[in-house]
Amino acid sequence: MSRPGFVLEVDDRTPPLVVHEGLGFRLESFPLGTRVVYPPESLPTVPDVDEAIREALLHPVDAEPLPSLLFSGMRLTIAFDDLSLPLPSMKSPDIRGRIIEHVLTLAAEAGVDDVEIVAANALHRRMTAGELKHIVGERVFRSFFPQGQLYNFDAEDRDNLAHLGTTEQGEDIEISKRAAESDLLVYVNVNLVAMDGGHKSVGIGLASYKSLRHHHNPQTMVHSRSFMDHKKSAMHHSAWRIGRIIKDTVKVFQIETTLDNNVFGKPYDFLMKREWEWSVRDQASMLAMKRGLSVAPQKLRHKLFHDLRAPYGLTGISAGEVEAVHEQTLERVHRQQLVEVQGQSDVLVLGVPYLGPYNVNSSMNPILATCMGLGYYFNSYRHQPVVRKGGAVILYHPLNEGFNQLHHPSYVDFYEEVLAESTDPAVISAKYEKQFAEDEWYRHLYRTSHAYHGVHPFYMWYWAAHAMDHVDEVIWVGADRKVASRLGFRAATTLQDALEMASGTVGSSPSITYLHNPPHLLADVR
Amino acid sequence: MTGVTGFVGEALLHRMLSEVPGVRVTLLVRPKGSTRGTARIAALLKKPIFAEVVEASGGIEALMAARIGVLEGDLADTPELPAGLDAVVHCAGDVSFDPPVDEGFRTNVVGTRELLARVRDAGPDLHYVHISTAYVAGRRRGSIPEGPVDLEVDLEAELAWGLSQRRAIEDRSRSAEVLTAERKKAEKAHSRAGALTAAAATEAARKEWVKNELVAAGAERARSLGWTDCYTFTKALGERVVEEHARTHRASIVRPSIIESALTTPHPGWIEGFKMAEPLILAYGRGELPEFPAAADTIVDIVPVDHVVAAIVAVLAHPPQVGRAAYFHVSSGDRQPLTFHQLYENVRAYFDRHPFQAGDRGATRLPEWRFPGAHAVERVLSSGERAYQVADFLISHAPRSDRARDLARRLEQQRRRLEFLRRYLDIYAEYTQAELRFHDGNTLALFRSLSEADQARFAFDTSVVDWKVYLQDIHCPAVTAPIRRLDEVRAARRKAATPGLRPLSPEKPAVAAFFDMDGTLLSSNVIETYLWVRLRELSGAERLAELGRVVGKVPALVQAERRERSAFLRTVYRDYEGARRADLDQIADDHLTDHVLSRLSPAAVRRIREHRRAGHRTVLITGAIRPLTRPLRTLFDHIEAAELAVDERGICTGYLSSSPLVGESRAAWMASYAAEHGIDMAASFAYADSHSDLPLLAAVGNPVAVRPDVTLFRHARKHHWKIVDWKSSGSSVRSLDPAGGL
Repeated sequence: MSRPGFVLEVDDRTPPLVVHEGLGFRLESFPLGTRVVYPPESLPTVPDVDEAIREALLHPVDAEPLPSLLFSGMRLTIAFDDLSLPLPSMKSPDIRGRIIEHVLTLAAEAGVDDVEIVAANALHRRMTAGELKHIVGERVFRSFFPQGQLYNFDAEDRDNLAHLGTTEQGEDIEISKRAAESDLLVYVNVNLVAMDGGHKSVGIGLASYKSLRHHHNPQTMVHSRSFMDHKKSAMHHSAWRIGRIIKDTVKVFQIETTLDNNVFGKPYDFLMKREWEWSVRDQASMLAMKRGLSVAPQKLRHKLFHDLRAPYGLTGISAGEVEAVHEQTLERVHRQQLVEVQGQSDVLVLGVPYLGPYNVNSSMNPILATCMGLGYYFNSYRHQPVVRKGGAVILYHPLNEGFNQLHHPSYVDFYEEVLAESTDPAVISAKYEKQFAEDEWYRHLYRTSHAYHGVHPFYMWYWAAHAMDHVDEVIWVGADRKVASRLGFRAATTLQDALEMASGTVGSSPSITYLHNPPHLLADVR
Repeated sequence: MTGVTGFVGEALLHRMLSEVPGVRVTLLVRPKGSTRGTARIAALLKKPIFAEVVEASGGIEALMAARIGVLEGDLADTPELPAGLDAVVHCAGDVSFDPPVDEGFRTNVVGTRELLARVRDAGPDLHYVHISTAYVAGRRRGSIPEGPVDLEVDLEAELAWGLSQRRAIEDRSRSAEVLTAERKKAEKAHSRAGALTAAAATEAARKEWVKNELVAAGAERARSLGWTDCYTFTKALGERVVEEHARTHRASIVRPSIIESALTTPHPGWIEGFKMAEPLILAYGRGELPEFPAAADTIVDIVPVDHVVAAIVAVLAHPPQVGRAAYFHVSSGDRQPLTFHQLYENVRAYFDRHPFQAGDRGATRLPEWRFPGAHAVERVLSSGERAYQVADFLISHAPRSDRARDLARRLEQQRRRLEFLRRYLDIYAEYTQAELRFHDGNTLALFRSLSEADQARFAFDTSVVDWKVYLQDIHCPAVTAPIRRLDEVRAARRKAATPGLRPLSPEKPAVAAFFDMDGTLLSSNVIETYLWVRLRELSGAERLAELGRVVGKVPALVQAERRERSAFLRTVYRDYEGARRADLDQIADDHLTDHVLSRLSPAAVRRIREHRRAGHRTVLITGAIRPLTRPLRTLFDHIEAAELAVDERGICTGYLSSSPLVGESRAAWMASYAAEHGIDMAASFAYADSHSDLPLLAAVGNPVAVRPDVTLFRHARKHHWKIVDWKSSGSSVRSLDPAGGL
């Protein structure tokens, strides 16, 4: 039986605790009284994955069994979450590949010929052939990729987009034409955190900029409290409105999976253990790794971390009608990640790790690091933020990885030209978003190379809008000062310095909460 | 009076106008370009020192009408002198210590002779005053009397020889040996940029060679006859001409030593331009003169300019008898000697109190002189020069990097410093050891013969000079003032200067921006991209074999690259033999896009896009083959790349279908492109990174060197071209390992 998550109060017996910071981590001694939120340990996984998949497909929730939806001569589209999920990438075989194989087997049995498999990457970069192969598996790749039936969604291919109308609030719904005109759209998801899945899968994953701009904007993001809680997230409300209309046009068969918290494989599994329970061997591994990292050049450290594949296990799979499925999914995600925290604190401490959704096989540039810390981790709450209104957030990340010119070309210009002028999401959005979104060169790179869409850095910045609106002080420990100030933040050398700097905002003995992730956790702040 | 535009001439004119009323001065002035002599004098009279005199006489025109006559002409072709002159003062002369030999003779000997002929024409009793130099004594030692230099030189023979040298040396410079040597050197340095660039460098080197040979010829001849340099040698010969004249006419010779700033008149510290000691004083103040080859007790014979001028006025007023020239030393060494050590102490004391501010790094550190002797200084200097040569060779062959560029910049400073030291030490070495004392008995007697009032107005008894006061309070402040002003201007400019490129203004149409590809837009090169393309087609073992083969060829390729860019490209492209053209395009689209885009510099792309937004035409010029430019095609209006020749089956022959566009052919291509599209090259831009792109950059009005190699870096700095640092991200995109497979 796995132990639930809990909140540790730092006392004089607490050893230094692991804090992730980019391509490395540090052991930090927190001030006495600091609350440290640990996620629950991994839940038990399903005993037989294939059995579980079959079971879900044959006995879906609020829907006909999949075989009864398949018929000869139909047009079937299978969409799946792209490489931004899960984090880190899963050890082969990827759960999505296994599910797709099952779906394809059923389709073959029903005599379905017209099958296309689409990566629901929205405005994310096109995945390489190798990356696609990793997700769908060798067999599926070999059978579909060379024929062009396995491909990345292209949100700028005007001829292959379908406008399905608008919601009652005037939001455009424009998604992949192939998906919209299919007799059945099967969506295969990995629900890593609570914000994923549900109507967000099709309504966002297969949508174009025209549709996304209605909810991916500063106003919506400030009112998504948090976007890890779809019932209180303006972004999800919009996605739900859109999804309900899509549902009227397209038959969607949603398959959602949930994973355990097994993020780090051996020999790095000590990173998931509670520090005072480290064995001698764990301590030796930790020491060896820390020493190794301290002398390794950045390139090698990057390779070391990005070569990690998570030994995730499947905790459950649900299929059928989108909302019913998602309810089950969320229940499992909460069971795996939810930790009850009593009350807000003055200071929130977060370690930003080497990886976020948008730098798989790439580099964690300063904008992505901001998004990861102030976007994803800050929003990992239910009910109310972990930090009080007007409090301070202290983040760990060196902000020194630079930009990947292949994957993030518009980020570089966003950093050099836009952030140099303003860091206010609302100002940025009004003044520059359209220009970047419609830029020919970025469009060209998004469509033909492996670049994120021109508007993507704006979305990263909007992700952090709620946090920037909520707290008064953001301090990065161990960060490049110049970069931090370009982002509109401050940098400190140590946690003590950061607390000293924050004392003007939160006083000299603030209450502190440190979210000890990864592994993933969701703070339920009462 | 001649030479009024010079330092002494100007001071003399001032003195005449302000202190000697009733004298009318006729000035022999050479028209300069389109400026007539009268205009030059009018301009001269606008200077502050003349303000009082001009005001007293009611304006420049009134003054010129009343007291100044202008005689336009040249010493080489002296016009007839006007009637009614009482005396002629000849101040004009070449004051450079190392003039080309023919110029030395022409100004100092021929000029004097021509003038004297005119003097004789103008009347029988004109008093001719010749301004010479005390150093006509040359390498003689000890006390130098105020009399003729005893020389056994055949004036006519030397003169004929000196004047013929230009012709002879120009002829010699066109000989095969000289030209071959210069051409080889130039080609070694410039062949990558192209034959015309090398040819231009050869011709420039030839002219430089002529100049140096002329200087060397004069200096050597002078030394072989016992003079320090061509200047004192020709000055001495000039005196011989005057002596001949003196047999039948009145003539005086005034020999000042080293003339420096004024003691009192027109105002303390008045000086025009830099004389002999100033560069050294300034270099010392800047901390760049670590030691000096003089002996501490050697006398530096300095006289203030107002003493010289006063002496000339007194000499003018006392014409000698016909038959023998009168000699006057205006010098300080005999009665008020200043030693090098005293000079050093005073200059140092001055800079201790008023140091130069070296940028924002506080006061400059002043070197401490120990006077170790000429040999020791020479040793230090020549080992410095040798070290520079070694460093220069290394840096010219170093792979390009920020470090190399920074070293090149510092080395350039070092070179300038060494060249300065070498030049001044060579010139002054003779003077620093000149253990001679100029006897000034005649001058002193002349001074004492003046009335007391005149002694006060026309002071030239140099023994009154207090060197401490003169150096620390008068001379040093005067010579450093303009430098301090310049420093302030520079500092302000540095502060105001914005780093990087100026934003583009869209108003000008018909502007193009030309971009080089490899090294400028992306951190890649032809070999790397070749490997990229080839390795894609091969299996594991074949890849290793191919890699090994290419590694083996690297030395030959590097050689070819250094020699000539087009030969290098041809060598590389030979290896495409047997590849299918269509496959190359496919591979480029499938794999090279990532390779190219991930190495693309973000700043470069921003600049290209800025040009497009400004409505400029963007053009990519590259020696790379066309398939490799495919990922960039949306950024450019035109791409000029190398085309691989293919046979009828579509297989590459390993040859190009036309010569690769490198070096000068780029400039030529740009010119024709500009003509075709009506592009204004002077308003256009070019961006490139290597020496071979020099013609490309030089073809436009706004050249920008991008992370240049050392040679281009030096050229760009010299010509004040913009230098930018467009870094490609050193990103760690592992999935793109060329030898590994995905």
